[in-house]
Amino acid sequence: MTPGILLLIAGLALGFNLVLARRFPAIWLGLSVVAAGAGLGAALEVLTGGTAWEWRSAFSLGGEPLHFRLDGLSALFLTLVAVASGAGAVYVRDYWWDGEQKRSAPRSRLWSSILTLSMGLILLAANGLHFLIAWEAFAIAGYFLITLDRDRPAVRQAGWLYLGASHAGTMGLFAFFALLAAKTGSWELGPLRDHPELAPLFWLALFGFGVKAGFFPLHIWLPSAHANAPSHVSAVMSGVAIKMGLYGIVRFSGWLPVPAAAGWVVTGLGATSALVGIAFAFAQNDYKRLLAYCSVENMGIILTGVGIALLAVTHGNALWGRLALAGALLHVWNHGAFKSLLFFGAGSVLHGTGTREMSRLGGLWKRLPVTAGLFALGSVAVAGLPPFNGFVSEWLIYLGLLETTTAKGPAAWAAMPAMIFLAVAGALAVAAFAKANALIFLGAARTQPAARAHECGPWMRAPMWLLAGLCLALGLAPVLVWPAIAHAVGTWQPEWNSPELPAPLLRLGTVQIALVVLIAIAALMLWRRAHREAAQRGLTWDCGYATPTARMQYSGGSFAGIATGWFRGVLQPERKLRRPHGQFPSAALRLERIPETVLEYALTPAANLILQISTTVRRLQHGRLQFYLLYVVAGLVAMGFLVWWGGSL
Amino acid sequence: MNSSSLNLLIGLAMGLNLLALGSSRLPSLIRTMSLQGVVLGLMPLLVEAHAGWAVWLIVAATVVGKGMIIPGFLQRAMRTANIDRELAPFIGFVPSLLLGAGGTIAAVALAQNLPLLPEHAGSLLVPGSLASVLTGFILLIGRTKAISQVCGYLILENGIYLFGLLLLHSTPLLVESGILLDLTVGVFIIGIIVDRIQRAFDSLDTRKLTVLHE
Amino acid sequence: MIELLESIIRLALWLALAPLLPGLINKVKAWVAGRQGPPVLQLYYDLAKLWQKQVVLSTLASPGFLIGPAVAWVALAGVALLMPLGPAGSGLSFRGDVLLLIYLLALARFGTAWAAMETGSAFEGMGSVREVSYAVLTEAALVAAVLTLCLQSGTVSLVTMLSPAAGAGAALLAAGLFTVLLAENCRVPFDDPNTHLELTMIHEAMILDHSGPPLAVILHGASLKLLLFAALLTQAVLPLGGLPAPAGMAMLLAGILAVTVGVGLVESLLARFAFRRVPLLLTTAFLLCLFALLVAWKGRVA
Repeated sequence: MTPGILLLIAGLALGFNLVLARRFPAIWLGLSVVAAGAGLGAALEVLTGGTAWEWRSAFSLGGEPLHFRLDGLSALFLTLVAVASGAGAVYVRDYWWDGEQKRSAPRSRLWSSILTLSMGLILLAANGLHFLIAWEAFAIAGYFLITLDRDRPAVRQAGWLYLGASHAGTMGLFAFFALLAAKTGSWELGPLRDHPELAPLFWLALFGFGVKAGFFPLHIWLPSAHANAPSHVSAVMSGVAIKMGLYGIVRFSGWLPVPAAAGWVVTGLGATSALVGIAFAFAQNDYKRLLAYCSVENMGIILTGVGIALLAVTHGNALWGRLALAGALLHVWNHGAFKSLLFFGAGSVLHGTGTREMSRLGGLWKRLPVTAGLFALGSVAVAGLPPFNGFVSEWLIYLGLLETTTAKGPAAWAAMPAMIFLAVAGALAVAAFAKANALIFLGAARTQPAARAHECGPWMRAPMWLLAGLCLALGLAPVLVWPAIAHAVGTWQPEWNSPELPAPLLRLGTVQIALVVLIAIAALMLWRRAHREAAQRGLTWDCGYATPTARMQYSGGSFAGIATGWFRGVLQPERKLRRPHGQFPSAALRLERIPETVLEYALTPAANLILQISTTVRRLQHGRLQFYLLYVVAGLVAMGFLVWWGGSL
Repeated sequence: MNSSSLNLLIGLAMGLNLLALGSSRLPSLIRTMSLQGVVLGLMPLLVEAHAGWAVWLIVAATVVGKGMIIPGFLQRAMRTANIDRELAPFIGFVPSLLLGAGGTIAAVALAQNLPLLPEHAGSLLVPGSLASVLTGFILLIGRTKAISQVCGYLILENGIYLFGLLLLHSTPLLVESGILLDLTVGVFIIGIIVDRIQRAFDSLDTRKLTVLHE
Repeated sequence: MIELLESIIRLALWLALAPLLPGLINKVKAWVAGRQGPPVLQLYYDLAKLWQKQVVLSTLASPGFLIGPAVAWVALAGVALLMPLGPAGSGLSFRGDVLLLIYLLALARFGTAWAAMETGSAFEGMGSVREVSYAVLTEAALVAAVLTLCLQSGTVSLVTMLSPAAGAGAALLAAGLFTVLLAENCRVPFDDPNTHLELTMIHEAMILDHSGPPLAVILHGASLKLLLFAALLTQAVLPLGGLPAPAGMAMLLAGILAVTVGVGLVESLLARFAFRRVPLLLTTAFLLCLFALLVAWKGRVA
C-alpha cells in the first residue's frame, strides 16, 4: 500500500474515533490501534523507500489549497507519534477506565484522538496556515487532556499555566508564519535556503517552537503540566508532544537559512538545558516531576546535537555535524520510547499507591515486580547507559562533539564546553535515576499505601513491555534503523545524503549485545553461587542495629542533598527547620522545597509589576466626561509637539 | 629574554592564584601569597639579559619583602590577635575557584586580542597580571577576615607588579619600588589596625564592622 | 576466532593481575609505617575465601541485590577490554570507544549504587549518595582529560589517543588524573579504605551488607577499576606508542607500579579530608584537566 492510502486509513480511523470515542471504548481502542499501525506503516514506507509522499488537492481551507507532504524528517516524527499514541490507547483501557472515571474517561478518549490527529496534521501540513490551525488544535487538545482530573486545583492551575505559555509560543509562531508568508508571497512551505533575508525569522521560530519543546528557560509550564496530567497523557505529552516543538525547530532550520549565531545559541541553550534540567530533576521529590524535568534535560541533549549540526552547516557542511544531527534525531525516537515507558511505569505506581511523593513509597518491587523491572530498564536507558538505546544516540552526539573538537576549528569552542556540560548532566542523570528507583522500588515500604500497593493490569503492562522491547532493540541493533535516520538527516541537509555509516554502529551494536549476554551470564552465575545452599535471609545488618524501621531509610531530600547544594544558585532550595526543644519535645519539622525558579523568581515578579502598572493606569478610566475631553486636548497638543519637533529635525 | 622559563614561572604564579582562592585556612593563604611573591621576585632576572646590581638589589628586596617580611608580619598579627584560622567565605571556595579559573581563561583570551608589542605577544606577562588582579579582587570581595583582605591586596599588587615588568626597559624599577614601599607601610598600618580592632571588638570579621556605620 | 581467543587471554590477564594492586599499596603503607604488613597476595586469599562462603541476604533485598554487582563487574571487565596496553594495543577498539569507556564506568556505578540501596539501610544510602554525587565532578574532570587527549592526538579512539606523549600540559593532566583516580577508587584523601564502621566513607559504606560471593565480585571489580585507572593515567602521560614493544611494555608496568606506590605514599602521608572539602579538591582536579585542555588548544598548531 502506498503511504497515501495508509495515511487515509489512519485519518479515517481517527475521524471515526471523534464520533465514537464517547460511547464505544472498545471500538475506539481498536480504531486507535489501526490508526497507529497505518500511520507507522506510512512513515516507515517513506523512511525506507527514500522518496517523499506529496498530495495536493483542489479543495481549499481558509482560502489556501490543501497540501500535504510526508518527507524523511516528518516521517521520523510520525513514527514516534504513531507508536506512542497507539501504546497510550492500549494503556488507558485499564488506567483511566469508565468505571472509575465516569465523566472524564470519554473526554480522555475524545481529546486523545484530537491530539493524535492534530499532531499528524502538523507533520503533514505543507502550508503555513494549515500548520497554524493544526498547531492550535494540538495546543487546545493538550490543555483538555492535562485538565482531565479538573476537580483538583493543582491540575487547573497547571492547565492554565500550560495554556498561557502555549499561547505565548503560538503568538511567536503567528508572527513567524505571517512574516514568512509576507516575505515569500505565499503560505506554501518548502526549502528556501537561498533567501538570506529570511534568516532573522529563525529567532521567532526558536521562541515559538521552543516554548513547546520546553527547554530551559522556556520550560516553565512543563513540570507542573506533566506531573499533574494523568500518566497516559504525560507519557504522550512528554514522549511525543514536546517533540513537535523540536520538529518545528529542526524543520525550519532545515528549510530556511539561519543566522550565523544560530548554531552557537542553540548549542548553548541545549547544553544549559541539559545541565539545569537534570539538576532540577535530581532535586525533585515527586517522581512525575522528576521525569518531567528529565525531559527538559533530554530536549537539551537533542538541541545540542541540532546546534552542532547548524554550526557544521556554517562551516562548510563538515561531517561532524552529520554525526551530531543523526544522534539528535535518533534521540528523538529513543527519548520517546523510554520516557513514555517511564511515565507508564509512574502511572502504574500512582495507580497502585495513590501518591506521587517518593518519600512515601519504598519497597514496591515486591508488590509491583513487573513495573519495577521495566521502570529500572527505562531508567538505565534514560541515564544513557549501555546497553540500551539512550546510550547509542548520546554516543553519536558525543562523537560529533569530539570530532568537532579534533577538527580544531572555531566550532570547537562550542563543542568543548557542551561536552563537559553534557558529561556532568549524564553523571547527574545516573544519580537522579538511582534515586528514583531506590526510593520508589527498593528498601522497605515507608507508608501503608506503599505496603498495600497492587500491580497493574495486563492492558497497562502490554505497552510497557512493547516500549521496553523497543529500548532494547534500538540499543542492540542501531545499525538496522540507520537507513531511516540517514534519510531524515539527508532531508534536513541534502549534502549529507549518503547511506554510508558515519560511525562504527555495527561494532557498537555487537558490543552491546555481548554486554547483555555477559551480564546475563554473570548474574546467573552469581545467583546460582549465592543460592547454592538455601541463601540465608536476615534483617539488614545496618551496623548491628537491631530494630531498623522504614523511616530510617534515606529520603529523597537527603539523597539529593549534596548535589542540590552545588546547584543552589539555580535551584534556590527553600528549607524550613523547627528543631525539637525541651525535655519532651512535641513537634519538629523539616521541610524542603525546590521552587520553580524561573517562574517564581523571574516571571511572577515581572507579571506582578505589569499588573501593578496596569492597575495604576486604570485609574485614568473613571467615567467623567470632562476629563476625557481633557485627555483628547492633551493628546492633540502632544501630537502637535511631536509633529513640530519632527519637522524641525 | 628567557621566555619559556619566564612563562613557566608566570604559569606557576597563576596556579598559585587559584591555590590562594581554594585555600580554606589563613596560614595556607599567607604561605601561598608569599610563595607567589618569591616567584614574582625572581622574574626580573629572567626578563633582564644582563642583570646589573640594580636588578639584583630589586630582586633581593622583593623576595625578602614579599616572601619573608610581609608574610612574617601577617603571621605574627594572626598569632597575637588570636584569629580563628578557618576562613569564613562570603563567596564559597568552589565558586571562587571556578570564578578565578574562568577569569584566568578570559585573561588569556583577552591578552591575545590586545595590541601588544611583538616581543610581548608570546609571553604570559599580561594575562598573568590580569589574572592576579582579578584574583585579588575576588579575595577582597569574597573573604571577610581583615587579614585575608590584606592577602587580597597583596595578590592584586603582584598583578600590578607583573604588568610593571613589561615596562622594565623604560622605567628603572623606581615605580615598582615605590609601590612596594607603599604596600609595606600599608601592611604595617593594617597590622596595627587589626590588633586595635581585635582589642576593641573581640572580632576581626569585617562583616561585623557594618554596625559601626553611624 | 584468533581475535576472540586473544581477547579472552587479555581479559584473563587483567582479571588475574587486578587484585595485586591493593596488596602492593598495603605493602607500601606498611613499609612507611615500619610494619610487616599483610602479604601482597592477601586480596587473592580473601576473594577465594569469600567465593566459598554462604550468602546472607537482607529480607528487603530484591534480585537486583545480586544483579547489581554482576552488572558492575561485567562493565568493568568491558572497560578492561577497551583499555589499550601500550604497544600491545587493545582487545577491542573502534572510533569513539573512549565514550563507551566513560559510560561503562557510569554503568558500574549505577549497579553498585543500586545494590547498596536494596538494603534500606541509611549507611548504604549515605555511601551511594556520595558515590553518585562525587562522580558528577570526577566525570567532568575525566571528560576534560579525554578532550585534551583527543585534541592532542587528533583522534577519537583510545589506542591512538593514548600512544603519543601528553605534550606541554602533561604535568597538569597527570595531577588531574591522579586526583580522579584517588576519588573514583575511594582512596585517601577522599575515603579511607581501612575504616569499616564510620559514617564518613563512600565505597565501604555501600558494601556493608554484602557478603560471600557478591562481596567477592564487588571487591574484585574495585581492584580492577584501580588497575584500569592506573593504566589510563600511565598511558595518558607517557609516550608509549613511540617506543619498541618490550621497552613500551616495561615502561607501562613501571608506570603502573609508580602510580600504585604513589597511592600508597599518599595514603601514608595524608589524612582523609573533611567531606565538605572534597568538592573543592575535585573541582581542582577538574580545573587541572581543563587547563591541560587549554594548553593543548594553545599548542594545537605547533
